[in-house]
Amino acid sequence: MPTRTVAVAARTGLHARPAALFVKAAADQETPVRIRVGDGPAVPAASMLAVLSLGVGHGTEVTLEADGPGADAALDALAALLARDLDAEEPADA
Amino acid sequence: MPDLLDRAAVRLDAVAADRDDAIRQCGRTLLDVGAVDTTYVEAMVERERSISTYVGEGVAIPHGTLAGKDAVRHDALCVLRFPGGVDWDGNHVVLCVGIAAKGDGHVRLLSELAQILLDPDKARALRESTDVDEVIRLLQPDAEEVTQ
Repeated sequence: MPTRTVAVAARTGLHARPAALFVKAAADQETPVRIRVGDGPAVPAASMLAVLSLGVGHGTEVTLEADGPGADAALDALAALLARDLDAEEPADA
Repeated sequence: MPDLLDRAAVRLDAVAADRDDAIRQCGRTLLDVGAVDTTYVEAMVERERSISTYVGEGVAIPHGTLAGKDAVRHDALCVLRFPGGVDWDGNHVVLCVGIAAKGDGHVRLLSELAQILLDPDKARALRESTDVDEVIRLLQPDAEEVTQ
């Protein structure tokens, strides 16, 4: 199964806002993507509760996996998202 | 998590006119227990406008922006239950877990809360509870394993 392993760049980890952006992007993919930490259980990347339950901190390596049509493109898109500091993209006035 | 939750920060019969009202009530509750300064309340509303804090299971987790962290005096939670429900951008919210967090502490805290909500029985119990002690007990990870 195609996978991508990436360190989470968001400076506060995959918590509420970065997690919400990631989950939304995962839900937009045509192929279901799962996410896991190390050898832990893989959970649906499109589930906010499942992603939050992983408790991913800044710099933690996570592995994304997907199978089926468009899997590689979906994994590339989501891995690229995690490699960005999503916290830094918060609107300056927020 | 229980150390972060002051009994005085649990209100199970709250009523809100709308989403922003519910968020401000969470903010004022955190203010009342001394966890945040007044500016944090609007930082919570701003965060919600940036992206929804709805997590599923009828639960939202309003909290401040990164810029609002300076207004946090100590990490804390509040739990406000809205039995009549609140329209949250199309989602029906019954429970708000308001969060004040200075550093990375809230990642673990959110993880614990999410694990509780992923258990449908616990999620339902949290939504329906009218007893402060029960809510505090439900929010203690592994509470059942300790008592059984």
